[in-house]
Amino acid sequence: MIPLSSRLLALIPLAVGINLAMGKFAAALSLPLFLDTVGTVLVAALAGPWAAVATGVVSQIAFTVLDGKLMWMAFLPVQLGVALYAGLAARRGAFASPWRAAAAGLVLGLIAATLSWPIAFLLFGGVTAGGVTVVTTLLTAFGVPLKWAVYGASLSNDLLDKCVTFLLVHVVLISLPKRLSARFPAADRARGRA
Amino acid sequence: MTVALDGVRYRYPAADSDALRDVTLAFGAGDVTLVTGRLGAGCSTLLLVAAGLAPHVTGGARSGSVTTLGADPASDEGRRQVAGRIGFLLPTPWTQLSGMSYTVREEVAFGPANLGWPRDRIGRAVSGAMALVGIEHLADRDPRTLSGGELQRVMLAGITAMDPEVLLLDEPTLELDPEGARMVYRLLPALAREKTVVLATTDVDRAVEVATRVVLLDRGSVTADGAPDDVLGTDRAVALGCSTTVAEIARVAGHAAPFPLTVRAAVRRFAR
Amino acid sequence: MTLGYRPGTGVLHRAHPFTVLVLAGTVAVLAFTLPAPLGPMLLTAGTVAIAVAARVSRTLLTALAFAAPFWVFLVLIHVVFGDSPDRAVAVGSQISAVLVVFLMTLAAVHPGRLVDALLERGVPFHMAYLLVATLQSVPELQRRASAILDAQRCRGLRVRGSVWGRVRSVVPLAVPLVLGALGEVDDRALALEARGAAAGLRRTPLDPPHDRLAERVTRWALLGSVLGTIAWRIFA
Repeated sequence: MIPLSSRLLALIPLAVGINLAMGKFAAALSLPLFLDTVGTVLVAALAGPWAAVATGVVSQIAFTVLDGKLMWMAFLPVQLGVALYAGLAARRGAFASPWRAAAAGLVLGLIAATLSWPIAFLLFGGVTAGGVTVVTTLLTAFGVPLKWAVYGASLSNDLLDKCVTFLLVHVVLISLPKRLSARFPAADRARGRA
Repeated sequence: MTVALDGVRYRYPAADSDALRDVTLAFGAGDVTLVTGRLGAGCSTLLLVAAGLAPHVTGGARSGSVTTLGADPASDEGRRQVAGRIGFLLPTPWTQLSGMSYTVREEVAFGPANLGWPRDRIGRAVSGAMALVGIEHLADRDPRTLSGGELQRVMLAGITAMDPEVLLLDEPTLELDPEGARMVYRLLPALAREKTVVLATTDVDRAVEVATRVVLLDRGSVTADGAPDDVLGTDRAVALGCSTTVAEIARVAGHAAPFPLTVRAAVRRFAR
Repeated sequence: MTLGYRPGTGVLHRAHPFTVLVLAGTVAVLAFTLPAPLGPMLLTAGTVAIAVAARVSRTLLTALAFAAPFWVFLVLIHVVFGDSPDRAVAVGSQISAVLVVFLMTLAAVHPGRLVDALLERGVPFHMAYLLVATLQSVPELQRRASAILDAQRCRGLRVRGSVWGRVRSVVPLAVPLVLGALGEVDDRALALEARGAAAGLRRTPLDPPHDRLAERVTRWALLGSVLGTIAWRIFA
């Protein structure tokens, strides 16, 4: 177990807080998004994939605990996937421009939906969080078999969600005052100017 | 001398200029040293470098030698050696919250517990620190419900509970009301008897009442170092805006340097 | 409706945190391994009984509030638009059982005691710290999010209108929140370092909970029941 630097000990709880607070904005704007991985992706861009994994794990635990629903822990593999992908994408300068960020986000959306689909279907009978389940319900109403209804719902949600998430992180990175970005050496690589 | 800086240069990451230029200073027990200057002169940086927090946590580049309690506090072995022996108080209390405590008592115990002390020693240290700072009545409160001033005093207790040999205070009274600020400053002379106490602040009016030595910084360099009257009572110090209000009034009123620094000194000199 | 630790004197409050956690985990696994729909239904009844006996029955109201939307969707998907009411009852009971036990756990386990219990077992301080610090920082950031929302609305932020317009509105909300948090990282890191949190020393637990033999036995029994049930489902 590598002891975490005080910097990461300070950053990660804040990033997890961001993950859980963004939902407020999405709700206020009536957007069908969770934006619950913004913090994880941000940490990936600022401190690399392993710090992002730690953020994702703690986020999932916190989300489970504070939401009061133990079963959310089953979605841990999705968080890990997001963290690793974001870390690798950041290393390759995925946040250099809005287009690259949006494209990278769409790919992550596909990955995330594919990862969460078996969990949502097999363990929960297709019933997970509010918005997505509405879509699932609609699709079943139209006679779509449950299996595909769940996947369709996840996909439609995740593609948009992860795309917007990556765009947001891109905007944050370019808005970072020099004083702050200098503290996080990985940020330069993420912006494509190592 | 517990803290010795020799030819120290330090620059923050991505900064255009050095925050400290060729600083050579030494601090020891027995004095309450006030480090002051205009905003941005490098007072906070000086303390951070002395504690090893710069460059270890802040990043950036440092040259020259820093020896605190016999080791370089920014190096790996040095950090292990000085862990818990250098107390550092930051200006804003909220960001110093451990994030792990639900009562003031637990918050004050955070530092000593991290040092691995046995439980009864922690209990004694916490009680002693809370009594010293005068916050025993807050012992069972949730730290997040306290005012800025109360919380900063809790933080001070948290630092003194670790019984550090060196106490570095960076603008400790920023969030405090005048009475709270005075309470903090009044603790310093007693602490300075056994410890090395260095205070960085622009609140010169109040700090000068307890300071026994003053170091003046300007743009990262030491421009004066000595007794408060010698450093702050000069024409130059007042002209730069680094001295006390009383001294400024005396100068504007047309008197000659050295100017009195406190009301009491002014009364002694001018009341006839 | 409250979430989180509430002081009390019931049997769960006095128990060792690990025992309560093992209980929660056991129920969570049994909910999905016991034969549906009868198994989960009995499990739900059992957890409700424990909640009442442990004097944390207020959490049952919260559980009801959380479970209601799930039941609605389940009925819609499996009964109205489908034809497997059994499935609806099964999944609904599973979710309910897990909800109740989980809220019970939250209400009865003091986070500080849990950290101390973990430290006593040799869990590295950093892991325990991250969990507890997060529990405190999350409500704080949510408060700030609300404040930013109000402030931007006062400045005329568009919360209705085209989808694209609303998506763009996320930016003036998210960026201040994130930049504000990032600006604090330095200060927080300095304070943690100064108070020895990153020194790598073995931290002393402040109030370690006592672990009685009866509790250890209970935990093993619970684990055994889980394994036994899994084995039974596979081989029977």
